Amino acid sequence: MMKGGFEVVHATLDMIQPHHEAIWDFASVGFPTTSTVSSIPRQIVENRCINLERNELSEWVEQVTKQLIDDLPAAETGTDYSSSMQADTSMVCEDNFAPSVLGDFRPRKTVRTSFLDGSCGEELQWGNELGDQTNNVCENGGNGRALSRLDEQGLSLITLLLECSVAISVDNLGEAHRMLLELTQIASPYALSCAERVVAYFAKAMSSRVINSWLGICSPLINYKSVHCAFQAFNNVSPFIKFAHFTSNQAILEAFHRRDRVHIIDLDIMQGLQWPALFHILATRIEGPPHVRMTGMGSSMELVVETGKQLSNFAKRLGISFEFHPIATKFGEIDITIVQVRRGETLAIHWLQHSLYDATGPDWKTLRLFEQLAPRVITLVEQDLSHGGSFLDRFVGSLHYYSTMFDSLGAYLPADDPSRHRIEHCLLYSEINNILGIGGPARSGEDKFKHWRSELARNCFVQVPMSSNSMAQAQLILNMFPPAHGYSLVQGDGTLRLGWKDTSLFTASAWTSHASR
Amino acid sequence: MKLSSAKVPKESKGAFPSHGGHIYNSLHSKRRSGHTILPLQPADQLEQWSSVGVDMHNNNTNNHHHPQNSHTSTSRSSDYSAGEPCATGNKWASRLLRECATAISDKDSSKIHHLLWMLNELASPYGDCDQKLASYFLQALFCKATESGQRCYKTLTSVAEKGNSFDSARKLILKFQEVSPWTTFGHVAANGAILEALDGETKLHIIDISNTLCTQWPTLLEALATRNDETPHLKLTVVVTANIVRSVMKEISQRMEKFARLMGVPFEFNVISGLNHLGELTKEALGVLEDEAIAVNCIGALRRVTVEERGAVIQMFQSLGPKVVTVVEEEADFSSTRYDFVRCFEECLRFYTLYFEMLEESFVPTSNEKLMLERECSRSIVRVLAYDNDQDSGGECERRERGSQWSDRLKEAFSPVGFSDDVVDDVKALLKRYKAGWALTQPNQDETGLYLTWKEEPVVWASAWKP
Repeated sequence: MMKGGFEVVHATLDMIQPHHEAIWDFASVGFPTTSTVSSIPRQIVENRCINLERNELSEWVEQVTKQLIDDLPAAETGTDYSSSMQADTSMVCEDNFAPSVLGDFRPRKTVRTSFLDGSCGEELQWGNELGDQTNNVCENGGNGRALSRLDEQGLSLITLLLECSVAISVDNLGEAHRMLLELTQIASPYALSCAERVVAYFAKAMSSRVINSWLGICSPLINYKSVHCAFQAFNNVSPFIKFAHFTSNQAILEAFHRRDRVHIIDLDIMQGLQWPALFHILATRIEGPPHVRMTGMGSSMELVVETGKQLSNFAKRLGISFEFHPIATKFGEIDITIVQVRRGETLAIHWLQHSLYDATGPDWKTLRLFEQLAPRVITLVEQDLSHGGSFLDRFVGSLHYYSTMFDSLGAYLPADDPSRHRIEHCLLYSEINNILGIGGPARSGEDKFKHWRSELARNCFVQVPMSSNSMAQAQLILNMFPPAHGYSLVQGDGTLRLGWKDTSLFTASAWTSHASR
Repeated sequence: MKLSSAKVPKESKGAFPSHGGHIYNSLHSKRRSGHTILPLQPADQLEQWSSVGVDMHNNNTNNHHHPQNSHTSTSRSSDYSAGEPCATGNKWASRLLRECATAISDKDSSKIHHLLWMLNELASPYGDCDQKLASYFLQALFCKATESGQRCYKTLTSVAEKGNSFDSARKLILKFQEVSPWTTFGHVAANGAILEALDGETKLHIIDISNTLCTQWPTLLEALATRNDETPHLKLTVVVTANIVRSVMKEISQRMEKFARLMGVPFEFNVISGLNHLGELTKEALGVLEDEAIAVNCIGALRRVTVEERGAVIQMFQSLGPKVVTVVEEEADFSSTRYDFVRCFEECLRFYTLYFEMLEESFVPTSNEKLMLERECSRSIVRVLAYDNDQDSGGECERRERGSQWSDRLKEAFSPVGFSDDVVDDVKALLKRYKAGWALTQPNQDETGLYLTWKEEPVVWASAWKP
């Protein structure tokens, strides 16, 4: 099955790009297994935050380089894909999922069904569907119970939550508020049951929304420090961020093949965890490192500048000539002149999307700026979650998405693990709160694209399929995160998707501008 | 309430009275696309709120956290520089909450909305202490602003009662007693006073007006059993005042009877519940017999009596002819401040900040028991701050008074009894079993009782009285 799958993947690669020209030849980029391995960090399962604020440069550098240099040609080499490779490219995509569920779920202005009577069958049905979607067996059963094994309590909570979402979707806020009072008194975020934890956070997010509705305000107030800290904790226990980083780095690397002067724009750099690995590889290129210019964008100038300093020092140690430009404005709100396009430079734009805050501003402006900049590659990692649509659309989609996410954490970490709590509370709950909030994830009421890949495809961009080397990188990362068998890695449509069990959570893709060639 | 945007969901009529709808119309600004994001603030109030921002944010170089800047596309977006509320807890919650309470008292509608928005965004019942306080007090303030306090409180309590079971209640109280002397302090002091006052008596009748699920009595039974003289007969009549406890009393009575049998103490157990007013109690209702030595033990129960009836209840105690009355209450004053919202709010905030911090330090962060205790507080907070004073729901009032205030009342009918050195030693020994931070103080000459202190703040008061 594995082998067949692998072949299918190859075939898919050839087939999917009717317009594909050999922009760059993957085979010739020639990343032998060993150097691929060396770019993968050894997993350090630590629960403490990498605390840049202590400004111990040496400690930070040590932390990061340790991850790079202490590489093992570990038990897993590049060729063994058996453990988590799935040939099934027909993974359920949330675009297909949501509408079919919504069919059961059109807003009903009337009904308050009690979970005790039969008329609630629909919701229960839905609940079970969710279960089938997310899981069959939770292998690490001792630690957390997956959504599929909903106990009665979990089931009744989810039912009430769904009813509540319907009430909100029809603006019956009084009724919603009452139900939320109930939910927020019962559901605990420290429960053994993942379902109950999810309900606790969803209920709180909806309560927050009800209050904002009443106030007539949709704007968020973000605690960036807390969010970034939780992001790091998440990076330590879950493979998704590294997946995003390393597959994107690979695509960028390939785009930078034989280029001497490169420019990377990271639309939301945070602590810049992604880049040391790339620098390391660039530094050890056969043809020597290029001159690297990086434009880092982020929420606070202070943080971006600090990140820039760390990266500069790191690059210096590797012998890479490096420039850093910090920008504390949203990408969609800057003028092209701020970016400083230089002739002879190869441009890569990187975007790891999330729902923690609106990192880029108006989507149409972002797209336009992409077009103007005509980068050689855009590496895009999207959450498999639609940010657009009505409240109910977002509710349904995000309930599925975050249930899966909570399951993946619960399969690995015990119920009282403080790191898990921090991730769930400071990171995932922040996202849930934004997605369910008034004005959607950006909390601005702006229309957001539902699906960036489609937008890029529609507008002067050509997809560059993720190479087998990217796939290999993803594979190696997965092998470092137990329980590896829970995660599902799929290559298809030129993208790489990482998810938990049957649900895809992140999709990595790469794009090139027509004009860049 | 009218919102001038098509995209932001319209409010439903019914649940929320339209407060200040007219204010919204004048304050809302329309963005180009017709969305209403938030209310504009009059320019002269900007300065005021900047100062709140400065205090809140540690390293923030930009003071502006005003929501209206967040989506100005021409200028630098300020939900970036909108500042990062300090994650290290420099008491931002109490500052914002106090400002909000003042604004409510001043009926400053736009300020109220702005502060509620900030609290709403920053609060979380699952975060750190500041976030929790913000969350639960926000709930109360929101109830107050929407005049839905009564409904909210009733919903919260009925949900809590439904979810209550003997197992969960027992687990909760035992865990709490394991990690904190908050309740055991009063038990040890009261038991000591009762045993001394009733020493030599053969027929004891303890009237226990509390919601402690009888966790106080095993040690007393044990003490009775291990006396050298003949073990006296103990009749225990428990008067339950919190509805949430009623359902579990059956199971408790079975266990108590069993325990007494094991201890070899002749024992009789009765429960009285469903009283509307404590003052209704009579000797007959309680089954008080002439030859019994009576002790009235009142733990956290007096605060549940409506303020105007407290004198009558104390008179009722007197009518029972007790040899000793033990009273334990939490040290806070929501009673004399009940007509002054801001003062009451501040006292409430002071007390619950202490309590939440105590819980935070006593339990592990992910403790479900801690969560349940916090939720219990949230109900009390709504009750005190958002539930109309005039509405008498009988037995669910939560207006605490300080020891000195209770003393004044009790002195009408009783005289204070000091705790003996033995009892004080027992209490000190108890406190040693817990984490640091707890201490015992004996008050000045003109005050009575013993205080449990947490980080040098008096939090629980225990006292004993005789006729």
